[in-house]
Amino acid sequence: MLHLGEQDRARLDGREGRALQFAMETVVAAAEIDRAAELIDIGFAHIDACFYNGRAHLDFVNYLLDEGASLAVPAWTNTGLVSLDDLGLRDPTRSEAMREAHELMQAYVRLGCRPVWTCAPYQLPGRPELGAHIVGSESNAVCFYNSVIGARTNKYGDYLDVCAAITGRVPASKLHLDSGRVAEILFDVRGIDPALRAKDLFYHLLGHVIGRESRAALPAIVGLPASCGEDDLKAISAAASSSGSVPLFHAIGITPEAPSLDAAFAGGEPARTLEITAADLEHARDELGRDDRERPLAGVALGTPHFSLAEFERLVALLGSRAIDPRLTFYLTTGRHVFAEAAARGWTATLERAGIRIVTDTCTYFSPAVRGLRGKIMTNSAKWAYYAPGMLPVEAVLGSLEECVESAVRGEVALDAWDSA
Amino acid sequence: MTRRRLEAEVLIAGVASGLALVLDEPLSFWGGFDPLAGAIIDVHHPQYRASVGGSVLFIPASRGSAGTPGGIAETLRNGSGPRAFVLGERDVNIGIGVLVANRLYGLEVPVVQIPAEQMRAIRSGARVSIERGGGLSVGA
Repeated sequence: MLHLGEQDRARLDGREGRALQFAMETVVAAAEIDRAAELIDIGFAHIDACFYNGRAHLDFVNYLLDEGASLAVPAWTNTGLVSLDDLGLRDPTRSEAMREAHELMQAYVRLGCRPVWTCAPYQLPGRPELGAHIVGSESNAVCFYNSVIGARTNKYGDYLDVCAAITGRVPASKLHLDSGRVAEILFDVRGIDPALRAKDLFYHLLGHVIGRESRAALPAIVGLPASCGEDDLKAISAAASSSGSVPLFHAIGITPEAPSLDAAFAGGEPARTLEITAADLEHARDELGRDDRERPLAGVALGTPHFSLAEFERLVALLGSRAIDPRLTFYLTTGRHVFAEAAARGWTATLERAGIRIVTDTCTYFSPAVRGLRGKIMTNSAKWAYYAPGMLPVEAVLGSLEECVESAVRGEVALDAWDSA
Repeated sequence: MTRRRLEAEVLIAGVASGLALVLDEPLSFWGGFDPLAGAIIDVHHPQYRASVGGSVLFIPASRGSAGTPGGIAETLRNGSGPRAFVLGERDVNIGIGVLVANRLYGLEVPVVQIPAEQMRAIRSGARVSIERGGGLSVGA
């Protein structure tokens, strides 16, 4: 039975206006579906409902704006369907939908959201702290917030994300509770060559395997090297929440709630232990995108999730003074704040001169296709490789960042031998 | 003709009847579903190309993206969606998508839940009616 506070009840009864009543009804319905005992306060929300998926999205936010809704907590925006900096980027034959997508993004700015337009909001300053209750929506960000930062969020969907930000309240359920954060199964990667564990592609492939194998169970990983960084953990988050619905993983000795196996499993034992081998990862790589060696390489897509400043730095170093083969279409997606940081260092100008198109506010893996993106596309992102071929006229080839750069310069797929370190 | 009666848990109250469409796997309503056509477009889904319009949709759960409530609200808005949802799990994303569409467009689409093992006994094409209190009547 759901217990509501005095203010919750006042809002539910309509004593604070129709917008708050509608938002509170939505939060309460979610709490009842979740069988939560109470609602709790949140301090932050990452909003996904700004991503256009039809006229209903606009009707929803316009109703709230007409009723005078405002936000109770800071709320940052996820990527939009279109880029505000390049409105012709996506299919102009669907101009009505693209116009509404643009209108939707502006409506969320009017509602009071901070327009960061990124799927990787955790790359900006001012992120939540360990133990903070927040609302995450975009799947990679939910997994990153829970796992890497130790903030607490369920996997919120459209509308509930906004209603939670308006009321500042969410159901006290699942990942908000200690009992909902205990690891259940263990992935052991200690048998894999340390040289392979040091590669960026390792984390994408491991994430893919974890997503596929975890099903409803919360995973822990043992054997990640101390050298693994936030971009690596971002890769696991994105891949595991694409091939599966992993909202949280614990990496023993790495992530904040897992100093030990005992801590991650709350003193219990894993229900199942999976020893991951190099062959499992090679299989994942083939599953996600193996080069058929027949059709020519048409392009490269980086930045799913949005590129970080560290990734920009690495890309600039890998490319050096070389240029992209002019026959290719090379897209890099990032958030506008990271873009500004990279631009201030001269990196965006260098990359654009070399032939890379840098896109902000949106991403390239979903429909409708961005300008010129078709055919055989190479990516370093397991998430991109998982989704894009189902939604776009593309086939994916998965490679490391370094392999993507070498391929782009040569104009053909150039993969290292799998076991070379 | 035999009719079976089940007691479902009401997640969103309403009254509806129609022919059952039973999905064998969870579905994402963003990326795996076209809300304009009301059609399943996930090539990996067992009911790929099925149209959900006018059905009582039996679905184990939603999966994947945060976009599921939006896909559901949009299909209900434009009239290509199901008349009711019968879930195998207490799925918040489906519930909220229907709740918002009901509120915005004056609809009364119900969402109820039955145990997964009961769902496995339902066949697509069976005539189903749902009462406000959760009574579920299933024909042959």
